[in-house]
Amino acid sequence: MLKKFASVRFSLSVLLVMSIIFAAYSIYYKTTYWGFNFAPGQNSDVWTIEAHIAFEPTGEPIKVTLTTPQDSNAFKILEENVIADGYKSKKINGEVSQLVLQSPAREKSQDIYYRVMLFDNIDTRGKTKAPSPEKPQKPIFDEQRLAAANQILEIAQKQEGDAVAQIIRLLNLVPADPTVQSYLPLKKTQSDMFEMTKDLLALKGIPARAVRGFRLEENRKSVAPDLMLEAYIDNQWKMYNLTTADKGLPENFAVFQRGGKSLIDVEGGENSSIKFSVLKSVTSSMGLAGKRAQLAGQKSLFDYSIYNLPLAAQNTLKWLSIFPLGILVTVLMRNVVGVQTMGTFTPMLLAMALIKTGFWAGLICFSLIVGVGLLLRFVLSKLNLLLVPRIAAVVIFVILIMQMFTVFGFQFKLNIAQSAVFFPIIIMAWIIERASITWEEDGPLNAGKEIFFSVLVAIVTYFVINDEYIRHVMFAFNELNLVILFAVMLLGTYTGYRLTELKRFQPLKKG
Amino acid sequence: MWNWLKHFAKPSELRAAGVLGMNRRNYNIIAKHNSRRLFPLVDDKVKTKELAKQYGINTPGLIGVIAHQYEVKDIFKIIGRRKEFVIKPAQGSGGKGVMVIVGSESGWFVTASRKKVGYKHIYQHISNILSGLYSLGGRYDSAVIEELVHFSDIFKDYSYQGVPDVRLIVYNGYPVMAMTRLPTAESEGRANLHQGAVGVGLDIRTGHALHGVQRNRPIEKHPDTGANLMNIQVPYWKDHLLIGAKAFDMTGLGYLGADIVLDAKRGPMMLELNARPGLAIQIANGCGLARKLKLVEKYYPTNLTAEERVEFVLSGVDFEK
Repeated sequence: MLKKFASVRFSLSVLLVMSIIFAAYSIYYKTTYWGFNFAPGQNSDVWTIEAHIAFEPTGEPIKVTLTTPQDSNAFKILEENVIADGYKSKKINGEVSQLVLQSPAREKSQDIYYRVMLFDNIDTRGKTKAPSPEKPQKPIFDEQRLAAANQILEIAQKQEGDAVAQIIRLLNLVPADPTVQSYLPLKKTQSDMFEMTKDLLALKGIPARAVRGFRLEENRKSVAPDLMLEAYIDNQWKMYNLTTADKGLPENFAVFQRGGKSLIDVEGGENSSIKFSVLKSVTSSMGLAGKRAQLAGQKSLFDYSIYNLPLAAQNTLKWLSIFPLGILVTVLMRNVVGVQTMGTFTPMLLAMALIKTGFWAGLICFSLIVGVGLLLRFVLSKLNLLLVPRIAAVVIFVILIMQMFTVFGFQFKLNIAQSAVFFPIIIMAWIIERASITWEEDGPLNAGKEIFFSVLVAIVTYFVINDEYIRHVMFAFNELNLVILFAVMLLGTYTGYRLTELKRFQPLKKG
Repeated sequence: MWNWLKHFAKPSELRAAGVLGMNRRNYNIIAKHNSRRLFPLVDDKVKTKELAKQYGINTPGLIGVIAHQYEVKDIFKIIGRRKEFVIKPAQGSGGKGVMVIVGSESGWFVTASRKKVGYKHIYQHISNILSGLYSLGGRYDSAVIEELVHFSDIFKDYSYQGVPDVRLIVYNGYPVMAMTRLPTAESEGRANLHQGAVGVGLDIRTGHALHGVQRNRPIEKHPDTGANLMNIQVPYWKDHLLIGAKAFDMTGLGYLGADIVLDAKRGPMMLELNARPGLAIQIANGCGLARKLKLVEKYYPTNLTAEERVEFVLSGVDFEK
């Protein structure tokens, strides 16, 4: 027999451990693939990059090719759309994504808008695994230039960093090295610098390519894309800043385009220009979960989770998912601490009501309802009614008291009184009935004690479940409820002393 | 600052003293020895009474039972010309809803606590019982009307109003621990320790007082009568034990509490049985229950009759050594 009980405890412990492992995995899964957060109200930044393409038609059929961003390790695409009236649009997803817009010849100057919304994926940054590219073709230099280039490569070795960084540092040296000065054009643009570096790297046999993108800062209008250099070193594409030679993808840098192809190519147009603006908006992490799940190829699981439900249903479930924790508190208070309460789950229901009413308002309102209710109940006890009709009368009393409080609360603008409606009516009626019977049988002291301990447990429960953080975690990681289930069941086999028994049996102590 | 901690014992200290806690009682003792289907036998006093008769256990005489609301007005037909009677809920517990009438004065009834009540009050009380106010889980109940017990003079000095009784804890048919519960002014004549009655632990072999407590504090003298509690010697002790031992045969409950009163004329009588007896008896005895239960499990024979078991207990074999 004893063995049987021991095995109950053992199997419940195993189940508890299993549920913890499951919950741990599930939490890992949700944070990784769905982007769930432990902190409540966490927001993800959503960046909107808008490209405004303008050009004058030449009278030939128009074909606009725009290189568009791809999902990267750093940023994922939430949404993209084009505003281009009358254009046929086509998306090409290859090594680079391109948006191709086609239209018959037009006359007026054209404005095309392309908008993409990106959100941060919080992942490893800067290092992109890729198949090994071909060896770059050596640039075609005349003899004099080749000599200069070789000389530069030699001097560069004195600079810090790896081969790429050395070259970039040397080219940007202030004051400039005389050899470099003669080698570089007088007025150097970012793309000139890129070409120079790329050629020099090609000479050394290091493949390199351009990366265009945007530093995501708030409300940047009419910005040109930043140019970065990616070089293939140690079997990886590594990114370099063309001025500082800093390695790696900078914070908040959204890559728009990689590789040699130009950002925009307009056929049948001239004087084409492209302007970008960057805008930051904020969306809750939960809101992006579905999108993230889809991108991670985990969409079907997400569809069957509660987070895919309509918001109203989610709110109800959010409310429900806190119950198990309240129940756990009740179990602990009764079986481990050893507090006696009126009705098993009365304190938990009171705590739930306190959350809706606010702490002090709720307590004051509760005291008033119970006080007035007890008063009326004493009048009632003089009438010698049968039990069920008497409790029914108390229920109606409670409803009337609540109505009165709410009306007066509204008139006198007291929020306290208005919170009356949140208390569970039947529970309130039973509290009043029980208290008044205890009062008659065991005196007001015991009645007061019963109410006090019930409210005490309610307050403890309130402070546990009112925490915004805990509530968020219990909802976002609802598998924790499974852990609570087995914890509660395991507590059902707890045979140790209750805390209050340590005091109660204190006179018996030995040893 | 940490002075209040003195009022708490360490769990290890309680374990050393063999104290049985509530959780362990529920999980290891009651769940193990008291099958739930046996509970109705002791939860319903009418059933208990009928069963007791078959087993030759004395109980207070039954005057009548009121099971339906329309019978309530028959109460005075039932009691006839009796001036003393007790009304209790058949499924009550812990002495709740027990009304003791000890006499009548010009149309009023006098309760044990010398309160005068009218017939309306009695109707009301019975109605309350029927509608389940005092029963476990609020089930519909019936009211039992019993003869009043005239407790033996032995207890006169040890009791303030009310009826003192003896509580036996019976484990696997062996009475293992005993105490007598003495009503006080504080408990308003009731024999419940949590209401302030005095509990005096009794030597299970002799029925002699061991140790007295009131509200968890040691006590030597009855607070109202001043009588020395340590002089208590319960007479007919063997008969008390026999009731407890037979109660096991009768109910099959491995762990039960038997409440016994000593009537001046009829001797020890079983008042009620309890399938979940409380743990306060440990405090009254100044001794833990867990160790005693373990001894019974380990060393006490399992195939004896009630009489043999009582003899076994009285013989006082001490297995602790």
